[in-house]
Amino acid sequence: MAVLSTPKSAVELASKGRPLKEHLFRVALLSSLAIALIFLGMLLIYVLEEGWPRLSPTLWENMPSIRRPETAGIQSGIFGTLWIIGLTALMALPTGILAAVYLEEYADRTRWYNKVIELNISNLAAVPSIVYGILGLGIIARWLQFGFTVMTGAITVSLLVLPIVIISAREAIRAVPPSIREGSLALGATQWQTIWRQVLPASIPGIATGSILALSRAIGEAAPFLMLGAATLVRFNPEGVWSSFTVLPLQIYNFISQSREEFHVLAAAAIVILLAILLLMNSVAIWLRNRYQKRW
Amino acid sequence: MTSQPNVTIRGPEVPNTPGSLDPVFTVEDLSVFYGDYEAVRNVDMLIGRREITAMIGPSGCGKSTVLRCFNRMNDLIPGAHIKGKILYHDENLYGDHVDPIEVRRRIGMVFQKPNPFPKAIYDNVAYGPRVNGIKRNMDDLVEEALTKAALWDEVKDKLKQNALSLSGGQQQRLCIARAIAVKPEVILMDEPCSALDPIATTKIEDLMQELRQEYTILIVTHNMQQAARVSDRTAFFTADVDSAGVRHGRLVEFDQTTRIFTKPSDKRTEDYITGRFG
Repeated sequence: MAVLSTPKSAVELASKGRPLKEHLFRVALLSSLAIALIFLGMLLIYVLEEGWPRLSPTLWENMPSIRRPETAGIQSGIFGTLWIIGLTALMALPTGILAAVYLEEYADRTRWYNKVIELNISNLAAVPSIVYGILGLGIIARWLQFGFTVMTGAITVSLLVLPIVIISAREAIRAVPPSIREGSLALGATQWQTIWRQVLPASIPGIATGSILALSRAIGEAAPFLMLGAATLVRFNPEGVWSSFTVLPLQIYNFISQSREEFHVLAAAAIVILLAILLLMNSVAIWLRNRYQKRW
Repeated sequence: MTSQPNVTIRGPEVPNTPGSLDPVFTVEDLSVFYGDYEAVRNVDMLIGRREITAMIGPSGCGKSTVLRCFNRMNDLIPGAHIKGKILYHDENLYGDHVDPIEVRRRIGMVFQKPNPFPKAIYDNVAYGPRVNGIKRNMDDLVEEALTKAALWDEVKDKLKQNALSLSGGQQQRLCIARAIAVKPEVILMDEPCSALDPIATTKIEDLMQELRQEYTILIVTHNMQQAARVSDRTAFFTADVDSAGVRHGRLVEFDQTTRIFTKPSDKRTEDYITGRFG
C-alpha cells in the first residue's frame, strides 16, 4: 500500500469506499463460520455436560433396561450399529464404486437411458430416509420375508447410501486426468486394465473419503429403522445377519421418550458415544486421504 | 518469424520417388469425421520405414487428428470415424478383424504434455510390458528402454522414486522410454516438445535421431524449425473454409523436408514456412 503513496497529485488514488465493502464482506463470511462453529460447540458441551455422570464402562458393558436407568447400558446398540455399518460397507461400497466406474468410463452419455440413470441417481440421493424405511419394510422385510433382522436393516441402509457412494466415487474417478487414461491405452492396455491399474488406484483417496462420509450418514440414521420396526429394547447383541437388532440412534430415541430424568442422562451419554464413533470414522477418512495424496 | 535462409534443414538423402520408399503406412484418401463434421479431408501419404515424418500446419488444420488415426486413438472419441484407408504394411488398420489394442502395442505414442503415471519410474516403464503379458526379465527390459531414451544415467539410482518428481524434459523422455518398452515399430509424437524448455527440446530432438535407427517416427509440431531440423519428410496441412462456412483440414503438400523448406511447390506452403501466414 505504501508503494502507491507518491502520485497522489496526478491520479486520484484515494479509496472510494471499496475497502469498507471489502471489510464488511469479510466480517459477514467470518460470522457465518462462527455461527456454525458456536452452535456445534454448544451442542457438544451441552451433551458432554449432561451425559458426563454416565460416561463410564458400565455404559458399554451393560445392556439397556427400562427399569434401571442408573445401570442400563447401550451395548446392544453399539454392536447393532457396528453390524449394520459393516454389512452396509460390504454391500454398498463395491456396488456403488462399480456403478460409478460404469457411468464414468463405459456409459455413452448421449444415450437416453444413461441420461435417465444419471438424473435419477441425483434424485435418489435427495429422497428422505424414511421413504427407504418404507421400501425396506414393504419389500425386504415383508415381501422377501427377511423379517426385522440385521440383513433387512443393512440392505435398507445400503440402498440409502448407495446414491451418495456413487456420486462421490464418480467425482473421484472424474478427477483422474484423461491424459493418464490415454497414456495407458496408448501402450496397448485394455480399458479394464486401464481402470484397474491406473484410474482406481489414482482415485482411492476420493473414493475412500466419500465412502466413509456416506457410512457416517448411515450411522446417524434413525428414521428408516423406526419404519422397519427395529425393536426398541433389545437386550442381546446380534449373533449374525439374521438376528434382530437395535442401533444407537434408535436406542437414544427410546431413552429420550422415557419420562424419568436418569434416562435423559443416559441418552446424552449415548449421544457422546455415537459422536465419538462418527468423529473416529471421519478422522480415518482424513487420514486415508492424506496418506494416499502424499504419493502424488 | 523467420525467412528461409535462417532455417537449418536436415538434409539426409531420402528417396523422393514413392516407388523407392519402403512404406510402413500407406494413407489413401483418408477423411476423418467427428459425428457429421468432416474434420480432415482426402489425405494421401506414404510413411517411410525408419524415417521421421513431420506434420506441420496452423492450429486446427487436423494434423493431430490425422496422427491419432495411426494408432486408433480417435476410436476413444464417441462419434469419430474415418473414410478411406490406412494400410499398415499390407493390412488395413481399420479392417473389421483388427483389434485397436494390438494396433496400439505396435504403434506407440508420446503426448503433448508429459503424462507419466503417478508411480515409481521403474513401474512406469514396466507398465506396458506388464499389461501386455510380457514375462521377460523386467529389470533388463526397463534398463534397455531407459537407456534407449537417454534417461538411464539420470535415473538409475532412483528407479523407485515417483516419476512426478522428475523435471518436465525427463518426464517426456520417460514417456518415450515407456513407449519403447513395448517394442513398437512406430512411435507417434504429438507436439512432444511444446511443454518443454529449449534445452530439454534439444535433448528430445537428439534422441529422435538416435531412435530413427530403429523406429519409424511421426511427429506433429508447431515449430517449423523443429520439423526442418529433425525430419526426413514433411507434410504441410492447412484448413479450408467451404461454401457453408465449415472448416476442413487438408493436406497441401507432402515431400522431402529439404524440398518443402527450399522449393515448396504450393504457394500456401511457401507463405506458411516464410512466416507470412499462421
